[in-house]
Amino acid sequence: MLGPGVPWYLAVSGVLFAIGATGVLLRRSPLIVLLSLEIMLNASNLALVGFSRLLGAVDGQVFAIGVMAVAAAEVTVGLGLIVAFARRDMELDVDALTELRG
Amino acid sequence: MIWGAWLCLFAPLGGAIAITVAGERISRTAAGWISTLSVFAGFAGALVSFVSTLGRDAADREQLSTAWSWLAAGDFRVGLQILVDPLALTMMLVVTGVGGLIVWYSIGYMHGEDEERRYFATMALFVFSMLMLVQGGNLLLLLVGWGLVGLASYLLIGFYHERPEAVAAAKKAFVMNAVGDAAMALGFFLLIAKVGSLDFGRVFEAAQGGGLSSTTLNLVALGLLAGAVAKSAQIPLHTWLPDAMEGPTPVSALIHAATMVTAGVYLIVRTHPVFEAAPGVQHLAAIIGAVTLLVAGFVALVQWDMKRVIAYSTMSQIGYMFLAAGVGAYGFAMFHLVTHAFFKALMFLAAGIVIHRLDGEQDIRKMGGLRRTMPFTWITFLVGTLALVGIPPLAGFWSKDAILSAALATGGALGWFLFAAGILGAFLTGMYALRLYLMVFEGEPAARDAHAGGHAAHGRGEGPRSMLIPVGALAALSAVGGLINVPGAWRTFEHWIGEVAVQLVEPSVAQDYGTSAVAVLVGVAGALVARRAFTQGRELVTMPGARTVLEHKLYFDELYDAVFARPAQIVADRLREDVETPVVQGSLTEIGAGTRAAAAGVARLQTGLLRTYALTIAASVVVLVVVFLAVR
Repeated sequence: MLGPGVPWYLAVSGVLFAIGATGVLLRRSPLIVLLSLEIMLNASNLALVGFSRLLGAVDGQVFAIGVMAVAAAEVTVGLGLIVAFARRDMELDVDALTELRG
Repeated sequence: MIWGAWLCLFAPLGGAIAITVAGERISRTAAGWISTLSVFAGFAGALVSFVSTLGRDAADREQLSTAWSWLAAGDFRVGLQILVDPLALTMMLVVTGVGGLIVWYSIGYMHGEDEERRYFATMALFVFSMLMLVQGGNLLLLLVGWGLVGLASYLLIGFYHERPEAVAAAKKAFVMNAVGDAAMALGFFLLIAKVGSLDFGRVFEAAQGGGLSSTTLNLVALGLLAGAVAKSAQIPLHTWLPDAMEGPTPVSALIHAATMVTAGVYLIVRTHPVFEAAPGVQHLAAIIGAVTLLVAGFVALVQWDMKRVIAYSTMSQIGYMFLAAGVGAYGFAMFHLVTHAFFKALMFLAAGIVIHRLDGEQDIRKMGGLRRTMPFTWITFLVGTLALVGIPPLAGFWSKDAILSAALATGGALGWFLFAAGILGAFLTGMYALRLYLMVFEGEPAARDAHAGGHAAHGRGEGPRSMLIPVGALAALSAVGGLINVPGAWRTFEHWIGEVAVQLVEPSVAQDYGTSAVAVLVGVAGALVARRAFTQGRELVTMPGARTVLEHKLYFDELYDAVFARPAQIVADRLREDVETPVVQGSLTEIGAGTRAAAAGVARLQTGLLRTYALTIAASVVVLVVVFLAVR
């Protein structure tokens, strides 16, 4: 098999996931949080595709496409919310957006 | 022809439903006629059934007809089935015949009342319930009818629901009957457990065949007897009957003369194999009857309310029927039931005319001299009174003497006790019946202040034709109804019932004639005592002590209040204070508060801070990963 082996893909996936998770945990702008979530999802996709190659089965790739569809839908909802916040001149800060607390 | 019996059963129900559904769309008078005609349609059905049964052989006069099976659990099946045999037919004819006359009479009596439609619908419902009771082809259907009769009587006694006394009387009747119903139901449960069936045939077979222990038989018979005692207002479950006079007078006539109160007698005769297998309980029934007829006879001597005197008289006469059924003289018990339905309904309805005329006055001290102004009522009431006292050849003479001779024929200490009680009862009957009659119809009219003038203006009318015809018919029946069974000549009725319930005692001709003579003499003696007291202007019971006791009806109400009502009240209060408030109510409050506190705690975790959630999830994932790795 040409190119790097599956462990490398997994390593990249892990790094990407960590970067995404850090972004979700540390950044306060909802836009960046969404971006970071996308990075995490793509890290998962990468791992799925990597395993798919390793096992020679297409299941993982199909799952990856499913994840992409869900991610797209999620971003649509998330961006819609952010636009709504912006229209109402609300601070774009996830720490400030606590209206739904118990 | 069995369809006649089905028609008899369902015609009154149809009437009740039609009146209820039609509601305000029909006039009140129309409601009265629908009710009357539906009951008479039932009578027609009963007649058809009767005539077709007469055409059969004596051995073949029992027909069981099943519409469908409506309760089946394992081997236990009960169907909607009716039984038509001479006993059921007798009751069907009496219930629809006398009942129809009473409903007809109501059209005049209730005219102008509010809620006449409700009245007539309930009357028809009552007749249906009673028919269900007597036609039920198994014990469960009998119990269904039994319960429905209780409900309908509750509705009718409490018809004047704006009067607190009427409501209280209705409740009392219902509760007293419920006690009996519960005892009866327990007896039936026992039968289901031991016999596995409530069919008359199988139950009687088991009772007679010796397959049941004597304890079982005694308990079942006691349950049946308790039900019968409550329904028939016998001691000790009798206190509802006088109070039930709060209902309209035709209701009193229907429930307290012709139908419901006699259901107990019917029950004993119907289930006689069970009672014969438990002779102790059967004799208890006779003793209860004897005691009741004496107590009621004494209490009737001092009552001032016209209807209550008749009510106590009913209790007393049903005591006679219990006595007869208790010694096994089923034919005589049913015979007296039939004649009593005639003359007691007549007395109630005639009293209704008087009460109606006097604008609801029921106190006999304020009556008197009505003989001259109300000749029709006077003569019919007199017929009823003489029939009650047992003057030949009126109906009551034949049936009451038959019962007394049966008591005599029973022999032994029990027989003599019952005979003595019966004779003393006949004396009392003569006294209270004549007292009532004399005070209402003879002598000088009491100063009825405003009433007298008002009624003079009404003229001599005694009521509309719809009231007078039924009273006339009942008077005729009271006069000749006893001739269906004449000792020494023919015993048609006795043999007719004997096809269902063979008499255990058969008085000899000498006993028949002897008791007849004694009973008539005693009744006349009682009547003469009442007459002398009346002409001397004094009361029958003059001893102050005895009088007080009788006026308080032997303190039964007070006793029950002290023994049952008050302790129950105290226990209920204790339970509320010591159990319900601290335990039930307290714990409920606690549970509510606890849930709320827990919710508040959980709510604090829900910060709305997105990044806190994310951190929690991330941290949880890390923990899980570590755990999984460690476990592996």
